[in-house]
Formats: sequence, structure tokens, C-alpha cells
Amino acid sequence: MDEARSSGGQILKKFFGNTGLMLFAATVVVPLLWVLITSLKSGPEIFGSPWSLPKHPQWQNYSNAWSEGGIGRYFWNSVVVTVATLLVLLPVGAMAAYVFARFPFRGSKTLFGVFLGGMMFPNFLVIVPLFFLLKDLHMLDTKQGLVIVYVAYSLSFTIFVLTGFFQALPGELAEAAMMDGAGYAKTFWRVMLPLAKPGLLVVAIFNAIGLWNEYSLALVLVSSDENRTLPLGIANLMMVQHYQSDWGALFAGLVIVMLPVMAVYAVFKDKIHQTMLAGAIK
Amino acid sequence: MRRGSRSLFIVAFLSPAILLYGGFVVYPLIQAFQLSLYRWRGVSQNRKFVGAENYQKLIHDDVFWKALQHNLWLLVVGGICIFVLGLLIASAMQKDSRLVRATRAVVLFPQVISLVVVAILWMFMYNPSFGLLNATLNGVHLSGWAHAWLGESKTALPAVTVAFLWYAIGFYVMLFGAGMKGISEEVNEAAELDGSHGFHKFRTITWPLLWSVKRVAAVYVVVNVMNVFALVFLMTQGGPDRHTEVMLTYLYEQAFSNNQFGYAAALAVANFIVAMLLSFGILAWMRRDPQAARS
Repeated sequence: MDEARSSGGQILKKFFGNTGLMLFAATVVVPLLWVLITSLKSGPEIFGSPWSLPKHPQWQNYSNAWSEGGIGRYFWNSVVVTVATLLVLLPVGAMAAYVFARFPFRGSKTLFGVFLGGMMFPNFLVIVPLFFLLKDLHMLDTKQGLVIVYVAYSLSFTIFVLTGFFQALPGELAEAAMMDGAGYAKTFWRVMLPLAKPGLLVVAIFNAIGLWNEYSLALVLVSSDENRTLPLGIANLMMVQHYQSDWGALFAGLVIVMLPVMAVYAVFKDKIHQTMLAGAIK
Repeated sequence: MRRGSRSLFIVAFLSPAILLYGGFVVYPLIQAFQLSLYRWRGVSQNRKFVGAENYQKLIHDDVFWKALQHNLWLLVVGGICIFVLGLLIASAMQKDSRLVRATRAVVLFPQVISLVVVAILWMFMYNPSFGLLNATLNGVHLSGWAHAWLGESKTALPAVTVAFLWYAIGFYVMLFGAGMKGISEEVNEAAELDGSHGFHKFRTITWPLLWSVKRVAAVYVVVNVMNVFALVFLMTQGGPDRHTEVMLTYLYEQAFSNNQFGYAAALAVANFIVAMLLSFGILAWMRRDPQAARS
């Protein structure tokens, strides 16, 4: 096309290419750094000079958050709920995915579709009936109840990803094991499941991040302080701090919630990106 | 014998997943539709079938329309911003440089941290007395522009939208980026040999060839926006004076503050139907593969 227009486009592109990208990266990082810095400031510093660095790092903000703020207890609740959910979810999801991937039967496609459908509708659609279902089962405000619900709502994604993994595994190995007289179940546990380890890892990381962060379901299904997970706890701490105004401890709490997830993300970044996009572009 | 053991194996391996999913996802889902036809305050004896009454009430409920409007505002304003910014950032990230690699390392941070953190973080950005935003405005002598961002009816919804964008955009940047990678080198080179660069190339090559990614992105925006709850619930509780109320925060209020469980279920169904209509509308509208049409 005409010269002026295309060179104008080039300049524009360069501008967005560098300045724009830097601006974007800063928009992402600066607020997070601000939380980190604020978590080390004293109360008057937080109010007086939002942009300044702390004069003396207030590490006690962290111990205040951990013990008086209850973040320690919420942290362990989150660990227990996340780990327990994964321990149930991974075998249950893998077993179902294995069947969907390698043992088609009449109606298996439809059933697979029903499982996948769970990825599309918002959990909140069922929040009222779910609340009363757990109430009837006497599992409201218990960690077990939360775990069972989390397993159920994580199955769609888990089965979707793992089915892909089992489909990609070479079938000869399974057949050889069957020839040797190992039954269907033994072939799965001894041969196929170990081969699917990379898939299990991806699914575990992905679910762990989601579960660690989950707020809406927990808000409705958990009410007592002793069962609160981290997101509930930190939200509660924010309400409480309106009266006590130990904002330093609140910011320390935010860092404690973020840090484990960001560490996991930093290590498994590429895997997470792949899975996210694979889930989106079916 | 072998056939029998195969069926037995299938049943055994599928049943845990089916029981959990059926019991805790499908069954409550069906109940949500049922429940929307009842007047029920949570005490089992007083459950009364009222047919479409909850839905009639919904149509005359100003707050419901307001909430729906806010969801649609988020969808349109948020959606346009996501597409424009997402495409710009993704295309700026198509080459390999230190800046690009650094950006790629942080682009999903907002997405992987808890929405609770995002909400609290932005509440403090907007805090009138010590938030970053007003501090910055005061710092550059623009204190006239300072607001109690979340407390004023005019600024509250845009402020929440910005927080939503900050949280959501990383995913779309990655999505558009993957789509752009999918456009083959040859097509790109051929276009450039023809003298097509910059915006012209984007308009004639990149944009049409991204059709499937655009579809996916648009549906994801709908799902994302209709799902908005925690951000608004924590940042504003729908206030001031319902100026940021969205469908799911209103649902929560009706269910767990007012004990109007039947009405809340009707709200859930309405939310579901709106999301479905919008998704199918987008899929139908963006269905055509422009390449297929040409050949």
C-alpha cells in the first residue's frame, strides 16, 4: 500500500511494541509490589506516604497476621482442604478419564459431554440447592463437605484434560500387559497411570491453584471461624481491620495468600500456559 | 466372560465420578430450576408451588434490571477493552526480546492469585485516604481529579470494571497470542512482500484469520462476566446504592440475607438463560470461517 501509511503503521507498532508493553507489565507488577512493600510498613507510614518505602521493615506484621489475625489457622485449613480434594479428585478423575479415553461404550460420548458441560455454567447457579443438600447431609460448615463439593466441581476440567492424556498414550503397552494376564484394573494402576504422570501433575497444579483461591462456594458452605480457608479468612480479616485498623497485618496476610501460588506459577509457568490454552481452544 | 469383565470394569471405574458429579452437580442443577417455581424461605414444610410467580416478580423488579444492566455494561465495556488491549498486547509480544519474556512471566499473575486478593488490593488502590490512585493524583498536582472511587455513584462501576480488566486480561493476551502464532509464517511473509504492514496487515490478515480464537474469547468474556461475584461482593457489596449490583451479588443477597430461596433460584436461572442466549448469539454471529466462504 502507499508508503506514508505503512511507515506510520510501523511507528505506531513500535510504540505499542515497547512503551505499551512496558506500561502493561508495570500495571501488572506495580500493584503487587505495592502490596509487598506495604506489608512491611507501620500503620502511620501506610496512611502518611503510600508510595514510600518502609523506614524499618515491620516483620512483626507477618507474625501478627499469622497468630492474632488467625492467618496461620486459615493457612492450614486451606492446605488440608486442597490436599484432601486432590487425593480424592485425582484417582476418581483418572479412572473416569481412562474409561472415556480407551473403552468407548454406547452413550459414552453423551456422558462425556455431560461431564464437560460442568465447565461452562457458573457454580453460583446451583448455590441455593447445594447449600440445602449439604445441610440435609449435615455437612454444612465442615471441611469434609467442602472437600466433596470441590471434588465434584473439579471433575469436569480434570476428566477433560486427563482423557486427552490417556488418548495420547500408546495402546500397545496396555495390550501387552493384558496379554500377560493383568486384568483391566491392574493394567490401569500398574502401567497406564504411571505413564500419565505428566498429565496428573498438570491437573494437580491447576486444581491446586483454583482450590487454594476458591472463595464463592466456601463463603456459602462454611460459616465458623475454625473451618475458614485462607480466602475466607483474609476477607474476614479485612472486615475486622476496619475496626482495629492494623493494616500492616492485613497486607502481610495478602502476601501469605499470594506467595505460594506465585511460587508454583513461576515454576510451572509453561505447563500452566499450555493447559489453559488447550482448555480454551478445544 | 471377557465382555462381562469389561463392562464390570467400566462400571466400577466410572461410578465414583458419576456418583459425585451426579449428586453434587447435576442433581442441584435440576433442583435450581425446580426451586425457581416455589416460594420458599428455607423451612421445608412451607414450600409452596407458585408456578411462574418468581419470574413475574423478576420482570417487575427494578434491582434485577439494574443488575442485568451492570452485567451488560461489564460485558460491552469490559469486552471491548479486552479485545482492543488484548490484541494490542498480544501482537506486541509476537517477537522475542527480554521485555517480551519478562512480560510473559508476569502476564498471568493477576489471574492465578485469589480474587479475594485482587478485590482487597484494588480497594486499597481506590482508598480515598491512603490509596495509590489518589496519592499519585495528589503527587502530580491533580488533586481535583481525586475521588472516593468506590463510594461515588458515578465512578464505582468504572472502578470495578478496571479491577475486573486487570484480573481478566492476561488470559486473553495468552489466547490471542496463541492464535497469532497459529497464523503461518508463509501467510505473514506473503502479506509483507505484498507491502502490507502494521494496521493494514492486521485488518486484512490477522483479524480475519483469528476468527476461531475471537469466537472462543467472546464466549469466555460472556462466561467471565456473568460469573462476576467475588470482586463486586468484596469491593462494594453492590453499592453505593446498588450502582455496582450485578446479578450474582443480588442472588446472594436474596438467598442468604433475605431467605428468599425460590426467588434466588429464579435469579440463577435468569442468569443462566442470559449467559446461554449471549453465548449462542455470539457463536451464531461469528460462525463463518471467512476462508471457507472464499473458497
